[in-house]
Amino acid sequence: MSTMMYRDAVLSTIMEEMERDSDVVVLGEDIVGGMGTPGGPEAIGGIWSTSTGLFGKFGAERVIDTPISESAIIGAAAGLALSGKRPVAELMFADFIGVSLDQIWNQMAKFRYMFGGKTRCPAVIRMAYGAGYNAAAQHSQSVHQILTGMPGLKVVMPSTPADVKGLLRTAIRDDDPVIFLEHKALYAMSGEVPDDRDFMIPFGHARLTRAGGDVTLVSSGLLLGLCEAVADTLAAQGIGCDVIDLRTTSPLDEETILDSVETTGRFVVVDEAPPRCGLGADLCALVAEKAFSSLKAPPQQVTPPHTPIPFARELESAYLPSVEKIEAAVRRVLNWR
Amino acid sequence: MPAIRPFCMPKWGIEMTEGVIAEWKVTEGEAFRRGDLLCLIETAKITNEVEAELDAVLARILVPSGGDAHPVGTLLAVIAEAGTPAADIDAFIAGFRPAEASAAARSTPAEASSAASPAPAPPRLLTNRAISPEALKLVEASALDLDPIVGSGRDGRITLQDVQQALRPAIALAPAGTLPLAPETAAVFASPLARRIAASHGIDLGTVTGTGPRGRISKADVLRLVQPAPSASSATATFTPVANAPMVVPFDSIRKVVAQRLTRAKQEIPHFYLRTSARLDDLLALRKTANLVLGTKASINDYLVRACGVALAQHPDVNVQVRDTTLHRFAHADIAIAVASPNGLVTPIVRQADRRTVAQIADATRTLIDKATAGRLAHGDIEGGTFSISNLGMFGVEEFAAIINPPQGAILAVGAARRVPHERADGTAGFETRLNLTLSVDHRAIDGAAAAHFLKALVGLLEAPETLFR
Amino acid sequence: MQFSRDALKAAYTRMKVIREFEERLHVEIQTGEIAGFTHLYCGQEAVAVGVCEHLGAQDRIVSTHRGHGHCLAKGCDVDAMMKEIWGSREGLCKGKGGSMHIADATKGMLGANGIVGAGAPIAVGAALASRVDGPGPDGLNIAIAFSGDGACNQGTTFEAMNLAVVTHAPCIFVFENNHYSEHTGFQYAVGTARDIASRAEAFGMKAWRADGTDFFAVYETMREVLAHVRGGGGPAAVEFDTERFFGHFEGDPQRYRAPDELSRIRATRDCLTKFRASVTSAGLLSDSDLDALDTEALDTIERAVTAARAAPRPTPEDVLSDVYISY
Repeated sequence: MSTMMYRDAVLSTIMEEMERDSDVVVLGEDIVGGMGTPGGPEAIGGIWSTSTGLFGKFGAERVIDTPISESAIIGAAAGLALSGKRPVAELMFADFIGVSLDQIWNQMAKFRYMFGGKTRCPAVIRMAYGAGYNAAAQHSQSVHQILTGMPGLKVVMPSTPADVKGLLRTAIRDDDPVIFLEHKALYAMSGEVPDDRDFMIPFGHARLTRAGGDVTLVSSGLLLGLCEAVADTLAAQGIGCDVIDLRTTSPLDEETILDSVETTGRFVVVDEAPPRCGLGADLCALVAEKAFSSLKAPPQQVTPPHTPIPFARELESAYLPSVEKIEAAVRRVLNWR
Repeated sequence: MPAIRPFCMPKWGIEMTEGVIAEWKVTEGEAFRRGDLLCLIETAKITNEVEAELDAVLARILVPSGGDAHPVGTLLAVIAEAGTPAADIDAFIAGFRPAEASAAARSTPAEASSAASPAPAPPRLLTNRAISPEALKLVEASALDLDPIVGSGRDGRITLQDVQQALRPAIALAPAGTLPLAPETAAVFASPLARRIAASHGIDLGTVTGTGPRGRISKADVLRLVQPAPSASSATATFTPVANAPMVVPFDSIRKVVAQRLTRAKQEIPHFYLRTSARLDDLLALRKTANLVLGTKASINDYLVRACGVALAQHPDVNVQVRDTTLHRFAHADIAIAVASPNGLVTPIVRQADRRTVAQIADATRTLIDKATAGRLAHGDIEGGTFSISNLGMFGVEEFAAIINPPQGAILAVGAARRVPHERADGTAGFETRLNLTLSVDHRAIDGAAAAHFLKALVGLLEAPETLFR
Repeated sequence: MQFSRDALKAAYTRMKVIREFEERLHVEIQTGEIAGFTHLYCGQEAVAVGVCEHLGAQDRIVSTHRGHGHCLAKGCDVDAMMKEIWGSREGLCKGKGGSMHIADATKGMLGANGIVGAGAPIAVGAALASRVDGPGPDGLNIAIAFSGDGACNQGTTFEAMNLAVVTHAPCIFVFENNHYSEHTGFQYAVGTARDIASRAEAFGMKAWRADGTDFFAVYETMREVLAHVRGGGGPAAVEFDTERFFGHFEGDPQRYRAPDELSRIRATRDCLTKFRASVTSAGLLSDSDLDALDTEALDTIERAVTAARAAPRPTPEDVLSDVYISY
């Protein structure tokens, strides 16, 4: 075990996989940083420090610094993947799927199906998502609710450095296109990470991080930590929460969710995307459909409101799910008559 | 989940009765993960792969690969958590009984019970089907036959709900059937229920104003038009009386008390009435400014309470209670305000209105109204009082005379503020806003002149409202 | 230029098979037997064949919604393609792609594409893959983005051209200017100088122009282009002036055409007629040689249609497979 930050887990996994497999190629804007400037290549090394040192080690053929052309980045990743490479593309901000969605949604996600199962598109698209930095409406969004609904994609949302390691390695070795969502507020999070260079976490296996018999709390990414905090507070009062970290929203580990709800009868989903047609609504539907008879209270969603993400500190705090909002939802289901 | 689970010959489809273990993919004692391939089983039709449903260890293989066909339900192996003692596995195998319905049970001759077992082993489920732990518990407890159950989970996994449904008796369906559907008109947005009610009453929805979300016509909007039964009478139609039997509503306890008190008050108290009016323009202007500048949300009524409080403190001979043959005179004014609540008329009290600012009165009043609406007024909220105000101005009542609320000595009835023409000092005509005030006075306690002085002071305060902020 | 008789026959046969494939579909679609949207390549055969005759299986192409010609030229199986268009589970894509989504990665055909302009970035990616692998004995493997005069107005095409120049990717942008983007004239829709090659030049790559209805012009131009790109000269573009003999899609009433336009271009701009004239006048092949090839091509198509009609249909369970490799 070593202790490292979430961002270092990203970088070291890419580094190890590039060493292991010469087909792994990375591309994205500013991932080298400084190309064509007096400062020279690697003057920056990626704005999230998740690609620092790759260019020097693997060269321009495998570390492709691109212009600001998101459609071309994702399209090129698609072409690389169809041609036998394992591209790891970086979209600097998840919000930029807006300008590259055709390549993600109409191309990558559909190749295998449209072409009758005769092609492989082993591409990973990494993107930094999430609010908490007052980056406002176009640089803070959680886009998993859009991408999870697209057949053909796998969607990963790690919440710890160890999960980054295990899930990113699985993503790079996976033969299907994978969206790998990194929460920007977690990049500096430290944690224990296995040293095993083959450590992999299979997709579709949720992690139970707290066990309790009274309420099921489901979340992912940054908000998982808030759920755990609420669970710990309530545990001191004798109330037990199952806290489930989804890890991947596609594939979805519905068994872990349903098994927990069959025990607790109370369900709260905490998600960073707005409430309509999102992950929260999806999981409420799952629980209502398949665990209706176990429910002691209506399933609850804790999500931001149906608004864009505001800028001012007070507004962003008011917008985001908080420990108080989560606890209130838990109390609501506990006190339901 | 139970630490030890049986792994039995599965049943794929209704025709399968037996199968052959073609190959074990996990060796005895080996650990496996959910989704790992456990073995291959051949039937008359196909060879199927059997995947593990959980992370565990293949503790014991009872049927080696390549042997004879074994009936559905035969115990093929035992699955356990890592580290389960061999003795426990042995005990589990010894206590194992195939499920009643399975072919294995039918083909196994009933064993002559070798010995009366000390405690009957809990029934164990024989299934290779994916099933949730809670569902498994319930099936084991209820000895349910799983074969007919269609799992609603992913890839047919059986959930607790599936088992609970299977255990419940079938319901006798009482369907409501189809209902008439009025066609949707492009320009009219109405709820289906509103449309149905409108259709049955012959109401053209195009004439209805919707008050629902985004202007949608709701049931309530239509019912508002339905309620007053349209008078079908015309000049030519003859009038036909309809039955008009009264709906008998006995007094509830509150109404009984109210009836008694008001009857006594009107019979025993020699009321006299003073009528006047106050010019309200300055107060309205000041209220608007004060609400804006001070951020208060005071109503005209709050200003009236404040003005009455100040005037009563200046004229304590009106700020009285009459108790038998004594007069109780107060320095501060506890003013009762009449509020219509779900339980009828209530009169909660704003204490010491002369000492409160308008904003404080507004706060106190709002709290009292909220409590009254919620039916949560405490005894202390309505007990006592030295004066009452009854305001029907919001209903457009211009003026009225109120009945004194004993033991108080007087009550002020407030009408609606109206724009009225008046003659200005220079002889020209103009409009001003006037408020009609009627003071009902108990002549036993208060003389006409004293009441008139009080009323004059009150009008003075209302017409020079800045004094209310002193 | 040096062509063996066999090479000429092979090239002619490929063009003729594409022509008959499309002419037959034009007839069959009117019977209602074929589902969905179909966009026919008739008239542009010299481009697909003139380009692809140079390519090996390690060279990759990305096609368009009008992709049948590119698929056949790059070596996709005629029968399997016909079955795909018929929607059979034995089709090249098991009946899941249809006319607009035919691909065969084993032949270096990375897919027709229903989204106009989506293919160019994918071709750049394929070229970048070849850059990772480095040059072989014949130089770099290359990737070709086929685009029409419609796709040349898409931002994705611009992004792809710039990215190719920036990364020095061995990518060739082949623009087939058939004068119509759907139902809108090229004279209207392509703003800058009404010329696509100059756009590519503006992005910093070398560009060529040639008559796309003349097989030999296409072939010779591509020889130069490929020498440049395989040799490490970076990306390049070619604009071929060509003709579309049918509408944008099957069923298009084509009211935008001049009254005599179709008969005029069929008479003067048909790449097959021109090919025949060239090789017979030069004495390389005789009319009877070519007539025999025509008959052969017709037979090929007849057999493909018969097989497609008889091919097994997909089952409802097939809906669920091939979404993921593992899930």
